[in-house]
Amino acid sequence: MEGDERAGGVKVRPGRLTALQEQLIWALLESGLSRDILVQAVGEMEKNRASVGAERGERGDGESSEEGETDFPPPIFREIEKLPADEVSKLRTEVDQLLQEEPWHVAKMVKSYMQQHNLPQREVVESTGLNQSHLSQHLNKGTPMKNQKRAALYSWYVKKQYEISQQFTNAKHGLTMVEEQGDESKKGRRNRFKWGPASLQILFQAYERQKNPSKEEREGLVEECNRAECLQRGVSPSQLAGLGSNLVTEVRVYNWFANRRKEDAFKHRLSLDTPYANQSASSNTALSASPEHGVKFTQQMSGDTVSSARGNGGERAGRLMVSPIQLEPSHTLLESHNPKLVSSSGPLPPVSTLTSLHSLSASPASSQSLIMASVPGVMSLGESSLLIGLASTQPQTVPVINNMGGGFTTLQPISFQQQLHASHQQPISQQLQGHMAASPLMATMAQLPYHMYKSDSPPYHSSSLLSQAMVIADSSGLGTLTSLAAVRQILTTDPEEQTDPPLQEDSMHLQPHTPVPASSESLELYSSSQTTERHQSLLLSPSQTDISSYMPTQMVSTAQ
Amino acid sequence: MAGKIQSLTEEERAHVLPMLRSAQWVEVGGRDAIYKEFVFKDFNQAFGFMSRVALRAEKMDHHPEWFNVYNKVQITLSTHDCGGLSQRDVSLATFIDQVSLM
Repeated sequence: MEGDERAGGVKVRPGRLTALQEQLIWALLESGLSRDILVQAVGEMEKNRASVGAERGERGDGESSEEGETDFPPPIFREIEKLPADEVSKLRTEVDQLLQEEPWHVAKMVKSYMQQHNLPQREVVESTGLNQSHLSQHLNKGTPMKNQKRAALYSWYVKKQYEISQQFTNAKHGLTMVEEQGDESKKGRRNRFKWGPASLQILFQAYERQKNPSKEEREGLVEECNRAECLQRGVSPSQLAGLGSNLVTEVRVYNWFANRRKEDAFKHRLSLDTPYANQSASSNTALSASPEHGVKFTQQMSGDTVSSARGNGGERAGRLMVSPIQLEPSHTLLESHNPKLVSSSGPLPPVSTLTSLHSLSASPASSQSLIMASVPGVMSLGESSLLIGLASTQPQTVPVINNMGGGFTTLQPISFQQQLHASHQQPISQQLQGHMAASPLMATMAQLPYHMYKSDSPPYHSSSLLSQAMVIADSSGLGTLTSLAAVRQILTTDPEEQTDPPLQEDSMHLQPHTPVPASSESLELYSSSQTTERHQSLLLSPSQTDISSYMPTQMVSTAQ
Repeated sequence: MAGKIQSLTEEERAHVLPMLRSAQWVEVGGRDAIYKEFVFKDFNQAFGFMSRVALRAEKMDHHPEWFNVYNKVQITLSTHDCGGLSQRDVSLATFIDQVSLM
């Protein structure tokens, strides 16, 4: 009573099914279920059940037919194998062929396919068990990958191609096939939507024409984008289902425009803050406005600054980190070389900027600790005071300070907006180099939107002068001193460069004039006072040329 | 079920029962039903058979009484609605016979 005899068309390979399975399948087939529908339904159901090991006892033959496979073929392979019987053999053949090819060639193919269809690496990692870093390196840089793992990758690749072609095909027939196969566990069966480059181009162009499109216009853009995405994937624009989770919808277009508008508003606000230019009023406003925001950013900024500072050569950056805390504007300094960071002026930055911000602040530099080391007494004091302001939890001492008290560091960020402009010209600016980084924040922000997408570091220019100026304005003696140092540094600092030596020298200079206790005091005072007033007072005075003279004056007062 | 299922008329019985009898279906004593026992090579075969029958039964909305132990399947067909044999039993019986031969 073998049901096989009834096999109308393709015969199932007996080796892959148990007798009962065969029986059941035949029963289904004979019950009026067409083979195609059965196959599709099977695929769908299996995807729905996630990668549960619903082993049907056919695994041995899996993709991992690699000789010398040390461990048990990754369970994830099962998912790869859950395919219509005849398809499996086809796909396996393809995988074998790919394995014969040159790994780098295939890697390029896979990578470009992923780009074309906007597939996240995460999906590959989840369904193959490969290490994401290894995968990324293999695809982008050609880092070697063992055969068994390549087999897993290629299996995913061929399977994905099959799935996507099914999606596109079914779109024609109005069926929705397996949507996103194998990515359920974490994402609830759907990959996160991602804008493709083609769509972005369309959107940005539309944005230039009009920032607030009506629903009809948005819908038009939806069509346009989906068409472009389909073309990019080499399919007919009418087969939208194949786009899967990257299908552009009206809601997504709406959100995109809303986010861009927010970004613009934020940028605008930043640019308002930046041109501080000796305007007490404006600075006042700006200053008062920024504190709250500043704090927030400070946290992030410190993290970011530290990280950026590190990249730049640490010390100076480190100092920056510390100081800004207390001064609102300082956060900008912290920003340092982090173009992505958005200075905290005004309300929270647009979503995208925040995202980058967070990512940036992820790396708390230990520069703070460095500071600690150098001048224990003052340093610690300075740090603590500085830390107060710093939202960031990581004590990031700025090693830069070395000889100077923490105050220096703090104040440095204050920098001088004005001076920043002149920074390139001032010899003293060396020390300020690190701080310069902070100022760029402002400038950076302006370019934010595009950074978001291109992750470029926009050249930042002295924009955060305002904040810096404010810092300098601190009435406390030490604060002043520090600011001077900061100013000097900023003045001479070239945003893109960072040289350490000058800083220290300056520090040394200042140090003799600044008795430790005094420093501490001022630091404390400084930290506790977060009013803009103080900031203002000093802010306006220093000009490029004045700085040098400024310093001695300050020092004197400090010495008191 | 829409409409009451009619029990087989005498005429119909006279016509189909001989057929069924020759196919090894026997009339159950004490009730108006037919019974047959099937033996397969193994459980898989038996259960495959049962699956097919089940699918058909669902489609017909007419279900058998049956018992299965390993490779043996005992089936009793009767219609509850009319308390006896009906056309559905006959058609299911013929289907069962066909399937059992696969």
